[in-house]
Amino acid sequence: MNHRTLLGITTFSLLLLLSGCGQPVPGMGGGSGNVYDTDTVSIDESGSGSAAYNSSSDGFQSLYFDFDSYVITGNMEATIAKNASVAQQSGTRKIKIEGNCDEFGTDEYNYALGLKRAKAVKDALQMQGVPTSRMVMVSYGESNPACSAATDACYAQNRRVDLRLAK
Amino acid sequence: MCNMQLSVKGQLVRYLFLFFLTLNLFAVDATLTIEKDVEQRTRIALEDGSSIPNAKLFDLLLADLKISGHFLVDETHYEGSFDGPLLNPAFKSQEYALKYTMSQSGGTKLSVKLIKASSGEEIFKKSYAIASNAKMPFLAHKAIYDINKVLKYPDIGWINRYVVFSRYTAPRRSEIVLADYSFTYQKTIIRGGLNLFPKWADAKQRSFYYTSYRGLVPTLYRLNIYTGEKSKVASSEGMMVCSDVSRDGKKLLLTMAPSGQPDIYQLDLTTGHKIRVTHFNGIDVSGKYVDHENRMVFVSNRLGYANIFKKEIHGSAISQVVYHGRNNNAVDTHGSQIIYASRESSSTFGNNTFNIYLTSIDDTSTRPLTTTGSNLFPRFSSDGTVVLYIKQTSNGSSVGYINLLSKQSMLFPLGTRKIQAIDW
Repeated sequence: MNHRTLLGITTFSLLLLLSGCGQPVPGMGGGSGNVYDTDTVSIDESGSGSAAYNSSSDGFQSLYFDFDSYVITGNMEATIAKNASVAQQSGTRKIKIEGNCDEFGTDEYNYALGLKRAKAVKDALQMQGVPTSRMVMVSYGESNPACSAATDACYAQNRRVDLRLAK
Repeated sequence: MCNMQLSVKGQLVRYLFLFFLTLNLFAVDATLTIEKDVEQRTRIALEDGSSIPNAKLFDLLLADLKISGHFLVDETHYEGSFDGPLLNPAFKSQEYALKYTMSQSGGTKLSVKLIKASSGEEIFKKSYAIASNAKMPFLAHKAIYDINKVLKYPDIGWINRYVVFSRYTAPRRSEIVLADYSFTYQKTIIRGGLNLFPKWADAKQRSFYYTSYRGLVPTLYRLNIYTGEKSKVASSEGMMVCSDVSRDGKKLLLTMAPSGQPDIYQLDLTTGHKIRVTHFNGIDVSGKYVDHENRMVFVSNRLGYANIFKKEIHGSAISQVVYHGRNNNAVDTHGSQIIYASRESSSTFGNNTFNIYLTSIDDTSTRPLTTTGSNLFPRFSSDGTVVLYIKQTSNGSSVGYINLLSKQSMLFPLGTRKIQAIDW
């Protein structure tokens, strides 16, 4: 192997190495097709989903929480007792406990906060004799506001748990 | 023979030395190179040769060149002949001129030429076409991507990618939308119902995971955006979110609450085996892989407020990552880099300021990426060089981008509907 050939191979190898492992452009490789020319789907679920309630129903009463809190305070206990009474009068039907948040914070944390509120209410109802098998929880995070004004009073209304009989 | 061998060895050593020297230059502190980068950006101007000049296209090309961090762009919308010479004296102060022409009858066709301004030499020429006029932004992004590549700048492939996001349309109603990074192109993929937390399932962006609230319990689905094929992945009472996907797409970090207790789980899609990663009785959410997916960073309120922690996937020790801020409830990772959103103001509500910070899994140094307003949903680009975030004001939202290397930043308006979650 002569000097020029070795030089060429070395230079070529270095160029390959130095050209970098560029980010592959998703969908732009593989054949002549441009993936952006391929239509993406469009799915319509407008007819699905339960009716949107932003308060309790079926005789239940909502419970309201402090900012970033999921603690059942003393002034909630009367409402818990009333809800337990409604639950006991509704036979064996399942009770849906929906946790909600105000608009502050970001995606997952907000939904988790809503869920912790729902669980706190579920645990409190269990203490009042409502069987856990009758209760199902869900968190709607900040997706189901009772009001939309940028006021402390409105934010307080959104930090709540709603209850209703599951459909 | 001996002299020839020595000469060959000398050449090889010289080239290896140059190779390693170059590698070392790339390793210098990024902070030190920022000032140099400003002076070294290529000066470029745009000249529109379209029969009907298009302001939207010009804005897209301008934004793409700027956010790449590699160009100093003349922001004047010059017009001229695509096939003619550079006549405008303004180009004399530029290094390059980007001539382009677009037509939009029967689809969109964009042709570009990169011209060396001093000599008129044509460096690059290409045409792009797409059947859908709505997808014109992708032609602009591809053109700038190619020009950036021709000039041998670091790759900006992220500019071609889809963004997927969910936004509320009414109480307990949402839609999941695909967009280009500038949000000029938007297409609703899932309309109606309550479908949230979209997360890309693969690097080629053929499918994404999302959470459906259609039934009594939240359910995670995977949807192919081209075929519409939908498959159920998992469901959980209370909460069900795909927070992160391993690089090979075979493992997921999930936030689930089988007993109403939100914790982080890892699901192996190959075996179906699921392990519980956190065991705290408060809030543990938003797990993001780091360290070759041996560890994760996540949000927890185990100190009484939302903050960022790290943990080995298969270990038990947990340590704090962030030591400032009153509420750090959103996080993303790339390699060892971490970005998070932190609440700055002391008041509970009112003019609440959230800022995005950059830190690392390996050390405690932190720097702010934003300084004003409410900045949330921090997300790394697929190569970790650019950060996306959402800025919210009383007038609506904007999507923001920060190039971490060049510090270039840009905002695009989003409208008034509230973003719920976003992935890039």
